[in-house]
Amino acid sequence: MPHRLVCEGLGKRFGDRWVFRGLSVEVSEGQSLVVSGANGSGKSTFLRVVAGLTPVTEGEIRLQGVGDSERVLREHAMSKQVGWSATDGALYSALSALEHLRWWAAIHGALLTETELRAHLARFELDSRADDWTRTFSTGMRQRLRLAMATLCQPRLLILDEPTAGMDEAGKQLLTRVIDEQRTRGITLLATNQPDEYALGDFRLVMGA
Amino acid sequence: MAVVTVVALGFASLGQNLNEGLQAGLLWVALLFGMSGALARGFLVEEETGTADLLRVGATPSSVYAGKWLFHGSLFLVLSAIILPLHALFLKPGSVSALGLGLMWLAGGLSLVSALTFCGALVARTAVKGALLAALAFPVLLPMMLMAVSGTKTAFEGESVWGALQGLCGYGLMLTAGGPWIFERFWRE
Repeated sequence: MPHRLVCEGLGKRFGDRWVFRGLSVEVSEGQSLVVSGANGSGKSTFLRVVAGLTPVTEGEIRLQGVGDSERVLREHAMSKQVGWSATDGALYSALSALEHLRWWAAIHGALLTETELRAHLARFELDSRADDWTRTFSTGMRQRLRLAMATLCQPRLLILDEPTAGMDEAGKQLLTRVIDEQRTRGITLLATNQPDEYALGDFRLVMGA
Repeated sequence: MAVVTVVALGFASLGQNLNEGLQAGLLWVALLFGMSGALARGFLVEEETGTADLLRVGATPSSVYAGKWLFHGSLFLVLSAIILPLHALFLKPGSVSALGLGLMWLAGGLSLVSALTFCGALVARTAVKGALLAALAFPVLLPMMLMAVSGTKTAFEGESVWGALQGLCGYGLMLTAGGPWIFERFWRE
């Protein structure tokens, strides 16, 4: 059964302020959705809600085609289907790139050998720094590592929050390749305000519009 | 911090005979001081560096809580391995009930580790961490500290610790069992 992400009437409120409300969107397997909008318009919040990191105030999110029935994303079983790449942070400064992948594979129950993990790092051009602490990494290298972690377990739903912030041109090419590969196995949500990245999506959701 | 506390008080009390109550209090205050430093290395640092989101995506709340509990537990073991010999060296408790002291250390450690894990988890996602931690830790830690000090004092006197041990075990088990249950309810909020 093909996967389909269905968001119906989503709303998120912090205190008295609605970040967004009445948001409905459907994305099918093989498609990617670009989310753009002004700062504070709720791009990251929308992605966090879909990833199950933040509870939704109203509405419903489902990823159809996972198992026998629809599942609510906040359930943990769902999380194994989600690859998440944050804009910043979300890395342990005293772990190496390889240790990050090893840990990430372990908590997802993925049995990957060290050779496979190193090969995955090589795809993101991090193999030469595989054993270095991430505290010594540049911003672009950190972004590459977040992408490597997000894609390691081949998730059905890949959520990328401004993944090219601080990346060089080669890194941006890498993102194009990652999204193309994801089309063969699932859905991509990409938050970006870079006009040249809008073309990576099959359609675009403009927050705050 | 814990080592400094024991050594400083040990030197300050040279030539004096501290009573069992003071000796027991000093032991648990030193352990509490040492463990409180771990709060920042537990849930707080995960939230501040954004790695908590990775855990939310990839792990169940109960496994995250258990991991932090084990970290605090390991620290308690390491800390005890340093503090207990220093305490014995400097304060020279008299006719100690070794079994009683061991049981109080075990039950007190269970309660302390569970209480600190619980407090750290509750406070990590709030904006006013320091103030809330103080407010929350006081009522959670005080009963266990009172029971632990009372029982350890009895052990230093060479008497049965059964009464304090029952209370401390009950308190520790309640926190150990209830902590993950409460944690699951606010981890993704």
